[in-house]
Amino acid sequence: MAAVHLENIYKRYKGTPQPAVEDVSLAVQDGEFMVLLGPSGCGKSTTLRMIAGLESISDGRLAIDGRVVNDVPAKDRDIAMVFQSYALYPHMTVADNLAFGLRRRKVPSAEIDARVRSAADVLGLGALLARKPYALSGGQRQRVALGRAIVREPKAFLFDEPLSNLDAALRVRTRNELVRLHKQLGATMIYVTHDQVEAMTMGQRICVMNNGRVAQVGEPLEVYRRPADAFVARFLGNPPMNVLKAAVERRDGRPGARLGGGWLPLSRWDAAALPPADVLVGMRPEELQLQAPDAAGPVLRGAVVGVEPLGAETLLLVELDGGAGEVTARVHRDVRTRPGDRVGLGVPEAATYLFDAVTEKAIAAREVQP
Amino acid sequence: MTELAIAHPAAGSLAQSATRLLRRGGLMAAVVLYTLYSALPFFWVGTMSVRTTSEISAAHFAWPETFHWDKFRTAWVDSNFAQYFWNSTVVVASAVAIVTLLGAAAAHCLARYNFRGNRLVYFILFSSIVFPPQIILISLFQVLVEYDLYNSRLGLTIVYVSLQLPLTVYLLEGFFARIPQDLFDAAKMDGYSDFEIFWRIVIPVGMPAIATTVILNFIQLWNEFLFAVVLLSDQESRTLPLGIRAYMGDYFQDIGMIATGMMIAVIPVVVLYAFFSEKLIQGMTAGAVK
Repeated sequence: MAAVHLENIYKRYKGTPQPAVEDVSLAVQDGEFMVLLGPSGCGKSTTLRMIAGLESISDGRLAIDGRVVNDVPAKDRDIAMVFQSYALYPHMTVADNLAFGLRRRKVPSAEIDARVRSAADVLGLGALLARKPYALSGGQRQRVALGRAIVREPKAFLFDEPLSNLDAALRVRTRNELVRLHKQLGATMIYVTHDQVEAMTMGQRICVMNNGRVAQVGEPLEVYRRPADAFVARFLGNPPMNVLKAAVERRDGRPGARLGGGWLPLSRWDAAALPPADVLVGMRPEELQLQAPDAAGPVLRGAVVGVEPLGAETLLLVELDGGAGEVTARVHRDVRTRPGDRVGLGVPEAATYLFDAVTEKAIAAREVQP
Repeated sequence: MTELAIAHPAAGSLAQSATRLLRRGGLMAAVVLYTLYSALPFFWVGTMSVRTTSEISAAHFAWPETFHWDKFRTAWVDSNFAQYFWNSTVVVASAVAIVTLLGAAAAHCLARYNFRGNRLVYFILFSSIVFPPQIILISLFQVLVEYDLYNSRLGLTIVYVSLQLPLTVYLLEGFFARIPQDLFDAAKMDGYSDFEIFWRIVIPVGMPAIATTVILNFIQLWNEFLFAVVLLSDQESRTLPLGIRAYMGDYFQDIGMIATGMMIAVIPVVVLYAFFSEKLIQGMTAGAVK
């Protein structure tokens, strides 16, 4: 097991001015489950492939277990990787697939057998050892790919979106299996995904990436509750956080944000910390409270333009008055509204987030948010 | 009971099954006709191979009255076919082996590595397929004489390798390029070097395509006449097609022995095809269906 340290890592491709990965620094602790999360093209897979040694590092330092490995070829880094496509060797049986890496490392054949058996037991592959990959289901293939990594007993495991080819039910099950496996092996794992649910449920810490840069690193709930910028705020959460442009405006001496016709107090922020003109206001859909359109207090008013009953809950898409924009609100499943209805959405002050209108960085509130 | 049920189908489905029957019948007829078209001449040569030339002259298409199996012995021993057969085997087998290894390695490099001039090399190779091979015949003759390779099996082997290499690379490159990159990355993570990956992953995974090129090259070279007749003159180094040619004189053609020689020559091809036809079809259709 090993810690993985990335220091100011860059990846530049010839002919493209913008680096694919830019100034990424990240310390993955020994035995940690770290998730790299971001939209496609954000550089997370490239970062993972650089750790694996499948891509060269343009600049910066990569250390595994304290040893700088920038110029160490993939085969000598003692790292295992699980690919999105599983990448099972189609001409080999499951047993041979599992043993392939060990044979190269000249592990005695008795030990290879023992390790293959034990990995097969852990993953429930015992009955499939003689089969070829084409005779396996998607879930079984995925487990073989996992097994191939486990038998190696590597310093660290890398996962490149390993669940995205599985159906929804199997994905949930495999997610839990992976978490269990991590506990069991105590291994360092770095897991790339664009699925925020996977990130939230599996990662001990998550590293959100955007445009080749690290946007935020932290424990899942901490990142969810205190997003470092508007991108992270929008990316985590389903449906995503509503982020709307507002004007900073004082009423009765109190600072607040004017959103079209509505006004929200911003008493949690120091007046000095607030920008002079515009600001981005964030509100999570689950924290908006459905009210009558004429309710008093910090309420945004508008007309319902879309209703999505999901069964457990209902999502309302509301066009705010005064052209402030559209917001999504998560309401109780029994709420009966139709497109065209006028509604009010109560915004608890503790549930508002503020971001700089230009840099989109979060503006910290005075007291700790719940 | 089931017959009864079938006897009273709705009028629509009756018409439907009649159309299907007609279509299937038409297809069958076409297949049968094509089989006859290609098998009958072969069968005819087969009958001629056990008849003497005078018998054939008397009645071209007659069934053999007596089967002259001894003609095969005559060809094999007296007409030196044993030597020709051996020459053909040595030249073709080594040329096919070299062209397969070399072609697979080249195709792998062109398909997988992004080096400067990759597409240029590919284009030059590919463009050489377009030209008819006859245009290099005379210069090739000169070159072989120059290097003391004229009239030698080694010389012909080298020529055969260079003749078949472009098409082999072209066919294999197309197949290898479709092998997912993840497979290579996985093998790299498993600790294998580039050459080991080629040997342990590319070759076995690409086997259907490789088998196809082996069979195509073998058949092509086994029957090759033009280059052999120009580049070989000694009886000792002749290949089978030249051996058959030897039965053709200026004034007389020993049709009976030609047929016998052809049957001897065709046997390895038939055997090879019988064993590998399934692989051949697999290789040719690989990738067509995902």
